[in-house]
Amino acid sequence: MMNSMNDASVSQELQKVFEELKSMFGSCEAVHIDARQYKLIVPSDKTLGMLTYLKSIGYSHLSIITCVDWIDEKKFELVYILFNWSNGATFLVSTFIDRDRPVFYTVKDMWPTAEYYERDVHEFFGVEFEGNENCKKPLMLELWDDLPPLRKDFDPLQYSKEHFPDRTYEKDPIHEARIIRGDIEGDIEGGEIDG
Amino acid sequence: MDKIEKIDERGVWEKIADQLRSRSMWMLHYCTGCGAVELPPSMTSRFDMERLGMGPMATPRQADLFLVTGYLSTKTLRRVIYTYEKMADPKYVIGFGSCTINGGIYYDSYSTINRLDQYLPVDLYIAGCMPRPEAILNAFTKLMDMIRKGEADGWKRYNENYEWYKQNQLRSLGEVVVYDEFHE
Ligand code: SF4
Repeated sequence: MMNSMNDASVSQELQKVFEELKSMFGSCEAVHIDARQYKLIVPSDKTLGMLTYLKSIGYSHLSIITCVDWIDEKKFELVYILFNWSNGATFLVSTFIDRDRPVFYTVKDMWPTAEYYERDVHEFFGVEFEGNENCKKPLMLELWDDLPPLRKDFDPLQYSKEHFPDRTYEKDPIHEARIIRGDIEGDIEGGEIDG
Repeated sequence: MDKIEKIDERGVWEKIADQLRSRSMWMLHYCTGCGAVELPPSMTSRFDMERLGMGPMATPRQADLFLVTGYLSTKTLRRVIYTYEKMADPKYVIGFGSCTINGGIYYDSYSTINRLDQYLPVDLYIAGCMPRPEAILNAFTKLMDMIRKGEADGWKRYNENYEWYKQNQLRSLGEVVVYDEFHE
């Protein structure tokens, strides 16, 4: 963050950006997070235009692309976080897409790093990014065969039980009570832990 | 598996070899989880595992001891199995932290396994989340003792029950093949 930029001059600059955005994209909702952070909620057909514009005026560092599953509203929210190195301000550009038909466009031609964020969102939420063919390749989950795991209707405990055998313990209340009472001390050699 | 009465089947030469093995151990630390941060103090001057005759080793082919430090995602477990199978006999495995024992705080995770001994023969577990260097050094001396007594026979069990281990590996992982798009 630049020392020469104080909050007042940043907020002046941001006001200018908001006016520009309003004249270019019509109404867009801006949520104040703090002096240097704003969230912009835009319709999905205007998102790419807005990202291009913000990149051209200095908000050129794409920190991350992430996704939120709003299962009751039947929407996925895609969030692009853009950072400006000259005034330290951040914009969170957010857009909502249909949960039942989660398709959006890639931004990997604007930011090469986006390729991996998009593959990540694809793998964990099932959002398709048109133009990013590598989305089909596994990134972190190899050989995944279930719902994308960060969707709210996926049950991780159930999946864990089905795939990964667990250890079973025999409960010995008398032994435990004696430890709690201090009759016996914890045994450094440890008991048998074969399930 | 049922507990069987342990009989020492080692010949004289193997007993002598085990004495010597236990005094010169090279450790491969596969830092899968957060517990790995306890290793630098164990290796360096504060706790100094070299005084036990142990040293860190960077490659599996020259290592005797395989330290799995923490949770294992399915992706990591494939690499861990590869690494284990690359090590030369005799080889020993220590499961480090509660994540290797029963899944720890990740017991309900969709991508981390719950018990390491289903997939690899673990000679010794260190409980704790995460275990302190004192516990690690305790485990090392205990393992050396076990090697001298011939109790650290995980590598023999792995060869004898290979089918059982393979079945478990396939059941949880589907395939134990490592794909790596960055080194293709
Ligand atoms: S046992 Fe604790 S410290 Fe170790 S990997 Fe698991 S969560 Fe991390």
